[in-house]
Amino acid sequence: MGLVEDVRDLFIDRLTPSTVHSKVFWKAAESLARSPLNRPQWKADRVSLAYFLKSSRDAYLGRGPVVWCNLLVPCELVIGLGCTPFYPEMAAAVVASAGLAPRFIDRATEVGFSQDACSYHRCMLGCAVDGFMPRPDLLLAVNYPCDSAPLSFAYASDIYGSPEMVIDIPLPGRDGERSLLAAQLEEAAEVMAVLSGYSGSRTMKGLAEAIDLSNQALTHLREVEEIRKRDDCTLDGKDAMGGISVLAGSMGSRAGRDYYRLLAEELRQRGCAGGDAIRLMWMHLKPWYSQGLFDTIERHGARLVCEEYTHSCWEPMDPRDPFTSLAAKIGGHFLVGPVERRASYLASLAEEYRIDGAIHFNHWGCRQSCGGAMLVKRALQEKGIPTLILDGDCVDEREYQEGQISTRLEAFLESLH
Amino acid sequence: MREDNNVAWFCTYTPLEILDAAGLTPERRFGDPASLESADIFLHPAICPYVRACLAVAIAENGPHHAVFVNSCDGMRRLYDAWRDRFRDDFVYLVDLPRNTGSGSEELLACEYRNLVRELAGAWGREVTAHDLVEAAREREERRLAYVSAAEGVYGEARLRLAMASHTLPLHATLPAAAGGGGERGVPVLLTGNLLNPAGLVRSLDRAGARVAWIDLCNGDRAFSSSTLPRGDDLDGILASLAHSYLDRHPCARMSEADRRQDLLVESVEAVGAKGVIYASLKFCDSYLYDFPRIQKRLQREGIPLLRLESDYADGHVGQLLTRVEAFLEML
Repeated sequence: MGLVEDVRDLFIDRLTPSTVHSKVFWKAAESLARSPLNRPQWKADRVSLAYFLKSSRDAYLGRGPVVWCNLLVPCELVIGLGCTPFYPEMAAAVVASAGLAPRFIDRATEVGFSQDACSYHRCMLGCAVDGFMPRPDLLLAVNYPCDSAPLSFAYASDIYGSPEMVIDIPLPGRDGERSLLAAQLEEAAEVMAVLSGYSGSRTMKGLAEAIDLSNQALTHLREVEEIRKRDDCTLDGKDAMGGISVLAGSMGSRAGRDYYRLLAEELRQRGCAGGDAIRLMWMHLKPWYSQGLFDTIERHGARLVCEEYTHSCWEPMDPRDPFTSLAAKIGGHFLVGPVERRASYLASLAEEYRIDGAIHFNHWGCRQSCGGAMLVKRALQEKGIPTLILDGDCVDEREYQEGQISTRLEAFLESLH
Repeated sequence: MREDNNVAWFCTYTPLEILDAAGLTPERRFGDPASLESADIFLHPAICPYVRACLAVAIAENGPHHAVFVNSCDGMRRLYDAWRDRFRDDFVYLVDLPRNTGSGSEELLACEYRNLVRELAGAWGREVTAHDLVEAAREREERRLAYVSAAEGVYGEARLRLAMASHTLPLHATLPAAAGGGGERGVPVLLTGNLLNPAGLVRSLDRAGARVAWIDLCNGDRAFSSSTLPRGDDLDGILASLAHSYLDRHPCARMSEADRRQDLLVESVEAVGAKGVIYASLKFCDSYLYDFPRIQKRLQREGIPLLRLESDYADGHVGQLLTRVEAFLEML
């Protein structure tokens, strides 16, 4: 039995709700993260880990108002208002990485959630039902990228008796889209200001600071992107994919800025590995509980040089005009609106990163990504990029047929040689 | 300018009054549940079967395939994507729909309606006037009232077919006569969910001895349960009023109004004297997958018996459900 299994059996499987809500637990976790036992691949990872441990600790211990957010909620808004953002979809990925997802998914099934629903959300809801999530003071969801978040947050809102707010991002290109969205973001800010006791002037100051930090992070993120485009960069996509949590949950914090600054510095220092590896793009997310697919990719002399969700797709914002700026950031996201926007974005990424082949991981229950996969595939094929669609599940390891998936992946990789 | 006036629609949040006022003939599509697999080359099999059934039929039919979609759920958005990609020369338009109610959402929706009016004028060269819209809304209200009247004493499959005819028949056509329907003397129940095949699961409820007195489905009573008759003098005012009316309707589970939806459901149970609720929904519809546990809790609190069924739209499996339905009805 490996170390991971030992640790899981000894500690993680025995976690109780009161443990994860205790100071001792978080103190131990933070000590472990700082200890020599934790040897992250990149220095920047140490920054992000410390940040997420601190914000999770604050959320679980109820140190200040906690706001649950889905993927596209701009965390600058939450951080700027002095609240702690908590992203349950990311938490579900962490739970899956620890091999604990089946237990919570089954719990969600017991209370009536269908197996046809997204396992990120079922896992998150199972955790909430069993008391493993931090109590939210507000649940804030935007209506993209998928229907699941506003709907599952509504159930969680009932569990905790906390209000849910849904922000309706209007379709891109429609009259008044930015002002209508900015007004909703301002309304959400007013609710959070009441939670944190912020005055009007403190709200604007907080938002200006958060947006300024986010802009700095964006500058460094773009440096990272340029380095990754140039050659066979040493940052592999399977590791970079975890950066989705940094992009979603720390923009607007010092840690977000420092993460991308350190990563850019380190990538420059380490230089390029060189080589003539096959360059792959990964679309949607990965199975968090298994590295098997990535081992197969590596064995075939291929590298993931680019992933769908970890790139900048917005312009620097105006700290003096936070709501319009944030509306532009999320309203212009490629996952908002018709799939042609996503397909066009991915085709551009593929071109910029000189992709040889693309893999779309169809996460079971994800209507937004699976539903558009065929059109995305065609858009890429029109650019001459071979594309493989793999059906699987990012969170529920019981729905992952490694042998079958690997066989298809191997055949695809061989065809690229 | 386009000459063919037929426009397909799919979601009951489609503002039919605007399409009528533009001189078009909106026709609701229900697809063919038996052939939905032929849409698999465009849409993943884990997407709403209604969506796939509609696309499957369109692929097999000659055009034009003008269509107006509503951005109500991932399934509808994906159908719009596939339709637009497949029928590039036709008028294919997506109307946004907020999840929230209130003044900001009404403004957003009214803005969408103004966009639709403009797009229709661009495509067909017909300007919608305030008078056109008021007249169209009046006729839609007449159709709604005609359904309500015709549905009196009609149950189950017959009632659902009548509702669907009210959606598909041209506005000036007379609704077909519908008689009692199966299960007239059966156990009164309320059916709730998204959209069902009348010849599948709903027919099996009749056969099992249910008297489905109220059909809270997207292709059932829900769209006829409240008026969308707008007020106002000028076009903008009327569109704003129409937006208010649509957001004020008996809500679909995708709306952020779960409490109101539950209250209306409980009120309907009492109003029609239903002894229980059958919650039946198409697979892969997230709005209803996440809605069920909340409805379950509420009905438990109210002491209203509940049975959950699932449909793949073709409903080849309904024979297996019969025993469960019969046991439920017996228990009632």
